[in-house]
Amino acid sequence: MKTVVVGIGNPYLQDDRAGVVVIERLEEEGIGCQTEMVLTVGFEVMDKIKGYDQAIIVDACMLGREPGEILEVNVDDIFTTHALVNSHAVTLGTTLKTGSICFPDEMPANIRILLIEVKDIKEFTQQMSPEVEAAVDIVVEKIKTMVAEQAVAG
Amino acid sequence: MKKIEISPITRLEGHGKIAIFLDDAGNVDDAFFQTVEFRGFEKFLQGMPMEEVPRTVSTVCGVCRGVHFTASMKASDGVFGVTPPPAGRKLRELFFNAHYVEDHSVILYALGLPDFVVGPEANPAERNVVGLINAVGADVGREVLRKRGLAVKIFELLGGKPNHPVAAIPGGWSKQLSEEERKQIEEWSEELVGLGELTLKVFEDVVLKNDKYMELVTGDMYKVEVGYMGSVDENDNITYYDGTQKIIDSEGNLVGSFKGKEYLDFISERVQPWTYLKFPYQKKIGPWKGIVEGPGTNIYSVGPLARMNIVKGMDTPLAQKHFEKFHATFGAKPVHNVLAYHWARAIELLNAAEKCLQLSRDPEITSKETWNKPTSCPGEGVGVIEAPRGTLIHHYCTDGKGIVTDANLIVATTHNNAPINLAVKKAAKHFIKNGDVSPAMLNYVEMAFRPYDLCLACATHTVTGGGSPLLVEIFDKDGKLYKTLKNF
Repeated sequence: MKTVVVGIGNPYLQDDRAGVVVIERLEEEGIGCQTEMVLTVGFEVMDKIKGYDQAIIVDACMLGREPGEILEVNVDDIFTTHALVNSHAVTLGTTLKTGSICFPDEMPANIRILLIEVKDIKEFTQQMSPEVEAAVDIVVEKIKTMVAEQAVAG
Repeated sequence: MKKIEISPITRLEGHGKIAIFLDDAGNVDDAFFQTVEFRGFEKFLQGMPMEEVPRTVSTVCGVCRGVHFTASMKASDGVFGVTPPPAGRKLRELFFNAHYVEDHSVILYALGLPDFVVGPEANPAERNVVGLINAVGADVGREVLRKRGLAVKIFELLGGKPNHPVAAIPGGWSKQLSEEERKQIEEWSEELVGLGELTLKVFEDVVLKNDKYMELVTGDMYKVEVGYMGSVDENDNITYYDGTQKIIDSEGNLVGSFKGKEYLDFISERVQPWTYLKFPYQKKIGPWKGIVEGPGTNIYSVGPLARMNIVKGMDTPLAQKHFEKFHATFGAKPVHNVLAYHWARAIELLNAAEKCLQLSRDPEITSKETWNKPTSCPGEGVGVIEAPRGTLIHHYCTDGKGIVTDANLIVATTHNNAPINLAVKKAAKHFIKNGDVSPAMLNYVEMAFRPYDLCLACATHTVTGGGSPLLVEIFDKDGKLYKTLKNF
């Protein structure tokens, strides 16, 4: 089974960088699958996961939960239908839904989305909050397990 | 790593707010568009080696990554007093034009066209890119997305790293192009020209052939009479990567032209107490006159419509035909109809695709001479480009070792701040009568600023909530909140 892990985030924006840090950590530890980093949730995410059987996507979120809380959601959970104010506002849900409509044979059959609740994103800094740092550790281990399980099931 | 507090940005960065004030009769007396400023990054850059700046500023915005990269790269040439050799410049231009195709196609299909394809009064739940694909068919959607993906491939191949370009060096471009890569880019560029032609065909079929939509496109409700600024080449034709900035007033008269640091002689910025975003104006026309349109105003717009107004023509044959049709349709020049931004953007998409093809066929593009090594002491540099949304200025001062001591970035949304306010006010005045606020009003007002494609959420993104939230507050004659509309 071909798996790709995609981390989303701005590498200079405090807790927003969580998804990127997860990918850096996985690469350092030699995860046995393809990894990708993207700076935003536009159609680039769709481009990165086409052609894989499974995609694991990691992004920061601000849903009013406890900082560092980890959520696993599916595409329908995060698909919103609002008209856009600007082109930067294409959401992850919209990107993935668009992919499933236009490229049904190329999109992964299994898309797992992990969200990490941020504490602070007000500063341009590479220092994350302790809560999100801890969450990154957990997500890294979780993804390693996911990938290993799929490899066995493979 | 230095810490900079950015206030008052929140996770809902780019939270737009429109305040509309009604008079005694329930008609619109005034309207304001408020947002947070693109701020903080300039201070973050202080203390950074100049050659690192392009790779860093490309992360300011995941969408606009190529434009900040390119503007700062050009500024770094100035800082080190060196210009790239022909092949280096052409590789930069190819990279930048591919970025144009990618960006313009997303703006048009995700932002502009849903209003027309799905309909301005359609259910908001359907008036989006998914609704658009459902309306035009998955085959068309797939073809547009596939071709757009080819532009991204060119961007990434030349940029040297997926998503995050790294090939910029002062005085050149670090990625040399092999003949095999050139052929591949040529093949992809042929498809991008097809994307441009397809997009203009869609625009013609959906908008130009629809009398009701053309009433909106050519009508006074979306007309803002201001001046315009953009880049021209030596033949007074359109150019994006490099040129001379040309400014015209609201009646089309030439105000002046400038390059680089001379922008300080032409542009001043006005602060207003009710918003964090500054209001640039043309100081050659006179002191600040307020947010007013018509003859004598020193407010100006940038972006695709501005470029259609300031240039003599396009520098590629297919786009030139559409340019001529564009101006024949509107007649008088300059064109002040803000919905024409969408049409202008489609023409530029084709133009940028044609330029990709031209550059990919240039024998010099595979030259190994892509870099002129800097030999002078670092100093000051200004990079001015035409970003897809309009003129982007990066200005850097450095110490003798090339460390950034001061930085100033003026982005397209800042240039367009005053016209956006005028456009919102005009649309609100047209669509709100006698206190009757229809459910479709929010979208008609949004249609007034969508053509500018505001760069509100540059530094972050949201996973839910529809991206950039918009709140509309309508106040009665006594200042009491009368009605609230929001998209989040």
